[in-house]
Amino acid sequence: MSAIGTGYDLSASTYSPDGRIFQVEYATKAVENSGTAIGLRCKDGVVLAVEKLVQSKLMVPGSNRRILAVDRHSGMAIAGLLADGRHVIKRARDEAENYRDIYRVPIPGKMLTDRIGQYVSMHTLYSSVRPFGSALLIGAVDTHGPQLFLVEPSGVYWGYAGCAIGKGKQVAKAEIEKLKLDELTVAEGVKEAARIIYAAHDENKDREFQLEMSWIPVANGGRHQPVPPEIQAEAEQYAKDALLGDEMEDDDDDM
Amino acid sequence: MSSKLAGGFSFDNHVRNAALQQKGLTLPKAVKTGTTIAGVIFKDGIVLGADTRATEGPIVADKNCEKIHYLAPNMYCCGAGTAADTEFTTALIASQLELHRLTTGRESRAVTAMTMLKQMLFKYQGHIGAALVLGGYDCTGPQLFTIYPHGSTDKLPYVTMGSGSLAAMAVFEAGWKRDMERQEAIDLVRAAIESGIFNDLGSGSNVDICVIEKGKHEMLRNYARPNERGQKERSYRFARGTTDVLQTSVRSLVTVVEGDQMDTSS
Amino acid sequence: MTTVLKAGEVDLGTTIMAVEFAGGVVVAADSRTTTGAYIANRVTDKLTKVHDRIYCCRSGSAADTQAVADIVHYYLQLYSVQHDEAPTTRVAASLFQELCYKNKDNLSAGIIVAGWDAQHGGQVYGIPLGGSLHRQPFAIGGSGSTYIYGYCDSAYRENMSRDECVEFAKNAVALAMARDGSSGGVIRLAVITEGGVERLFVAGSDLPRK
Repeated sequence: MSAIGTGYDLSASTYSPDGRIFQVEYATKAVENSGTAIGLRCKDGVVLAVEKLVQSKLMVPGSNRRILAVDRHSGMAIAGLLADGRHVIKRARDEAENYRDIYRVPIPGKMLTDRIGQYVSMHTLYSSVRPFGSALLIGAVDTHGPQLFLVEPSGVYWGYAGCAIGKGKQVAKAEIEKLKLDELTVAEGVKEAARIIYAAHDENKDREFQLEMSWIPVANGGRHQPVPPEIQAEAEQYAKDALLGDEMEDDDDDM
Repeated sequence: MSSKLAGGFSFDNHVRNAALQQKGLTLPKAVKTGTTIAGVIFKDGIVLGADTRATEGPIVADKNCEKIHYLAPNMYCCGAGTAADTEFTTALIASQLELHRLTTGRESRAVTAMTMLKQMLFKYQGHIGAALVLGGYDCTGPQLFTIYPHGSTDKLPYVTMGSGSLAAMAVFEAGWKRDMERQEAIDLVRAAIESGIFNDLGSGSNVDICVIEKGKHEMLRNYARPNERGQKERSYRFARGTTDVLQTSVRSLVTVVEGDQMDTSS
Repeated sequence: MTTVLKAGEVDLGTTIMAVEFAGGVVVAADSRTTTGAYIANRVTDKLTKVHDRIYCCRSGSAADTQAVADIVHYYLQLYSVQHDEAPTTRVAASLFQELCYKNKDNLSAGIIVAGWDAQHGGQVYGIPLGGSLHRQPFAIGGSGSTYIYGYCDSAYRENMSRDECVEFAKNAVALAMARDGSSGGVIRLAVITEGGVERLFVAGSDLPRK
């Protein structure tokens, strides 16, 4: 990115001569530096998982959560700047409440994502604001079944069967592509999500991380909630075992 | 009343008016016109009709007023109720329809006018006393609506409104047929309006008719004049020379003096 | 139901009803509109379409209920474009209720919302004067309904067929029209199912239970 010094990167409301908006690209960089976040749309629900990099051993486990609830049936995961992500989620909660007030039904994932997409996009159009330095995974279960979306800092959004964002997205994407998501149950999905986050974690660069996971199983009336501790522990054990297994295989290859 | 000027509203007049009202003074009311207006759909168009009497209480204010108002080249509207309100609401909507035509480049539709009128009247919660019969010919064919002052509307093949509506409706209920010829429809509307003119105190004078068909309209002002004043048997005019001239005197009150001629050389 | 109308306001002194059956709903109404003692319209259609498969039955002030129905019609058109699918009857009823409750001091509107949607099938919602919302297997409303509460409670059976529901609605509305001075004219009905809307009509001379 050779924008530095040209003056074309000083405002989100200025294009470069070749049609780029550098402030938005910088915001995307902020997302790429963050811990990995993945979402899986399974056949009977949605799983969200985040590799939360821990800056200090003194931090209380479970603080600075990166997966938050939006409504009973939907949750969002933040990759990138936490403060920006929380701000967008506050907006999402307001939109969900507003929709409920008018129509008396939970907001469909598509509508929620569209409104958030517009909100994020608005922050790329004015010189007085900074684009959000976070990408957001939106999970929801509505009348159309499980839904998964990713909103990027530009405001653009896509629906996914599975997606990954952040530092380890290449590894994570490769792993997600191997899954048969339309056959996978959320119970299996949680295990796979844990395994993928562990696999995407780079021990050499970041020592400590916490795995944060939530799910929205259709069977549970489509409620978004943190994965229960015992199931999470089981999934993490599965992830660690898988990682060990891989290392052994690698050892075998070396022989 | 307070002698010193202070900020805020003064409600002194309200107190005064309430006191006067209690003593039996009636407050002034808006002028309402007793009216007979009507409309029918015929085979290939609409016939609108109206009487021409305007009243202020018991007084006939205008013996030959116009109650069929222009809305668009393909749409006219009969008004009953508060005279000023029918005049200004139709004028306002006519203006909005013209602007709408200029932006869309299409002929106005009767439902559009009807919706604009009902939304305006509903907004004013009946305080605009306009009761209307709207007729028009648009891309969907002949259209006829009634619009009440509170903003409710009806869509019917034959309608009447105003104080003479009962008399006019009686004529319609007896004589209306589906798919009438143009002249048949004009005759029926004329009979309905005349029924209002003769049987309703609020209606009177002449019959105005407006025929709207595909691509054209015809305004038949004073189509019928059932209340023409007859020739008086005797004249009250005094013959010339009835009064004797006893004395004549002409006085010159101004003396005209010739002045210098004005210089117009330069 | 007592409606307080402004002077000269057009009243839908009315009988309206709606009945759920397995594959849809039946809505029915009389056709009389009055201004004081004068019948302003003897063939009124009080069944108003607010979406492809959602109707409302209007009672109370004609102006108020038309205005509310027009606004809901607009919202539902917007909804179907934004969501790329038809709204549910529940959503329509919620919009009606919101308008009726928020403006309760300025409205005299008793509305029944009924329709079919893929999610819930046939549904009937009653929204009486105060602006509350009630899901019901069948609903009656308007001034004429007071005369037929007993009949409806006694004649209604669960799991009636489409035709039985039509007969039930016809009989109930005819009975109300016979006793209520401000209800009369003809009976208008609509049967709303997955297949669409079928409009039915009973002339004033062919009313049952004369």
